[in-house]
Amino acid sequence: MLITGKGGVGRSVMTAALAKLAAKRGKRVLVTEVGDEGDDYSPLARHWNRERLPQHPELIEPNIHGAVLLARTGQELFLKSVLRSGTIARAALGSDALRRLLSAGPSFREMGVFFQLLSALRQKTGPNPTHELILIDMPATGHTLSLTGLPETLLKLVPGGPIAAALKEGQTYLNDPKLASAWIVTLPETLPVSECLELIEGLKKTRMPVGGVVVNRMPADPFTAEEREGLGPLVDQHGWLGREAFKKPLVAHRELARLRSHTALPIFVMPELPHEGLIAAMAGLLDVATPLPLPTGGA
Amino acid sequence: MSQVRVGELLRTKKVIVCCGAGGVGKTTTAAALSIAAARAGRRVLVLTIDPSRRLAETLGVSRNPTDPVRIPKDRSDAAGITTGTLDAWMLDIKLVSDGAVRRLVKSDADAQRILSNRIYQQVSTMVAGMHEYTAMEALHRLVHAGQYDLVVLDTPPSRNALDFLEAPRRLSGLVDSRAISAFLPRSDSLVARTASRVIEKILGAVFGEEFAHEFVGFIGTFTSIFQSLNVDVNEMRRFLSSDDVAFLLVSSPAPAALTEASFFHDKTRELALPFRAFVLNRSHATDAGRPMPSAPFGASAAVLTGLPKLTRLAETEQLAAVRDLTLLGELQKRAGEGATAIALPELPQGADDVVTLVSVADALAAS
Repeated sequence: MLITGKGGVGRSVMTAALAKLAAKRGKRVLVTEVGDEGDDYSPLARHWNRERLPQHPELIEPNIHGAVLLARTGQELFLKSVLRSGTIARAALGSDALRRLLSAGPSFREMGVFFQLLSALRQKTGPNPTHELILIDMPATGHTLSLTGLPETLLKLVPGGPIAAALKEGQTYLNDPKLASAWIVTLPETLPVSECLELIEGLKKTRMPVGGVVVNRMPADPFTAEEREGLGPLVDQHGWLGREAFKKPLVAHRELARLRSHTALPIFVMPELPHEGLIAAMAGLLDVATPLPLPTGGA
Repeated sequence: MSQVRVGELLRTKKVIVCCGAGGVGKTTTAAALSIAAARAGRRVLVLTIDPSRRLAETLGVSRNPTDPVRIPKDRSDAAGITTGTLDAWMLDIKLVSDGAVRRLVKSDADAQRILSNRIYQQVSTMVAGMHEYTAMEALHRLVHAGQYDLVVLDTPPSRNALDFLEAPRRLSGLVDSRAISAFLPRSDSLVARTASRVIEKILGAVFGEEFAHEFVGFIGTFTSIFQSLNVDVNEMRRFLSSDDVAFLLVSSPAPAALTEASFFHDKTRELALPFRAFVLNRSHATDAGRPMPSAPFGASAAVLTGLPKLTRLAETEQLAAVRDLTLLGELQKRAGEGATAIALPELPQGADDVVTLVSVADALAAS
């Protein structure tokens, strides 16, 4: 299950809440994010009081393993499997030229991440699966599409060989709606909704099944219609503080309606929640959501 | 150096580079800066990559023109531009990098061979750093052409504000002749020849023989371009260090904003780039002076029941105003001599029409 959406919409909070909920229901979960070599901060790891997730899956809570998907780890795994020798793979990665090519070259970073994901998927569908559900906190929109679109792009370029085989294998997992789905987290605001609609289109083009949309931080409206009618002109006339918050629910409803009118996907609306106990509260709401945004099998 | 003012920067500088992480309103800020400078009578170009469609619509410019275009008269009239001019260019990576190949390669036949190479076609849009390189290249060329008084560059979207400065170096690292020569079979030294055979063997095992062969061929044809690329990156660095240029960091009042701003500030110092201003966008700092709701004379029952609720919302906004004001103060301290920090309010939802942009432009010009 891929969790995606633009920065600042609460993607990692959603990922953590889903992980904890699935674990509570007895599922063995692997929670991952796409990371960068030099990262010293991970918003996802924070929910387990860690600065970073480990490079290889480690138990971070009962039923939950965590790992960061790093391009380099995936490239090393891949080279090892192709060259059938750890020594040559390490020597190859130690070569200055190859290292530079892999870190800056076309799609090699995505390829590394993709391969690491693939090995987790293989493990899951193997004879002794450690995980029943894999959650991936995906990077912002553009990077998500370059990852989900990777098989198609690269297969045009590299039609044969081990890379092509790995890409095709990954494609069969990711493009099967019974096995995998992407969930988009967004906010009930103008630009996030527009970007969410573009992302739905983009994911369709890369043939990634989309499970649904989570509209996060829907503001509650404390005012009655009469109160709005009475206060509205006064708020503008006096430029009172509180004006933005007063108008926010109106915009939020308009944008939610726009989202609904442009997509038939399931939409889950999450209210604004206090910062304290956020994950637990969100997991609680997801628990009673029907149908629950958790796939039965799948990644 | 006396106190830096953003209004002064946009009347005097030749280049303003807007940096910032994705989603902080960088493109809108760049557009507003350009409008402000054009309103002040300058010939301005705003250069942006992959903008939201809305901005292109607001400025009335198509998405992928091959060259900069003047914004239509109705828009520039609406923006109150009289003696100045405003052009916009929404860069298309593919078009610009094809142009660069044509300029850098000596013969037409060579250029055609590269442009039709399927590896190039993928690489030109995918190589990490290509967006940033393309933007710098276009900037450099347009400034030297001399048809603009000011070019405002909206840097490509990225997770990190520093990517723009690092990416060209990563790209030139890839194309460093020593790294490249390892892929080329025609080398004099035995060690290098052995190394290149090993690498080709590995590439062959990984990608399949056919692709590996084609790839090595591609690198060979591309070497000349890569070398001139290398020179360009250094020259651009020098050009960006001059006093005609101002770097601005746009950020939102998130907790990480100050940390990011500090990193960015240190980095520009380290690279000797002229950092001039922090722009704290979507800030409530400017709200600090607004009044709290109070019952007007003869208020209706509905107003009276609604007012306590509104007051609670207002108290939250007041806290945010105080918090952002403190943040702004810290940014100003951090900016020190030779730079400044200003706050811009959050725009009304979806209101990125010309009138709204002009209000932001006026706020920038006056700060």
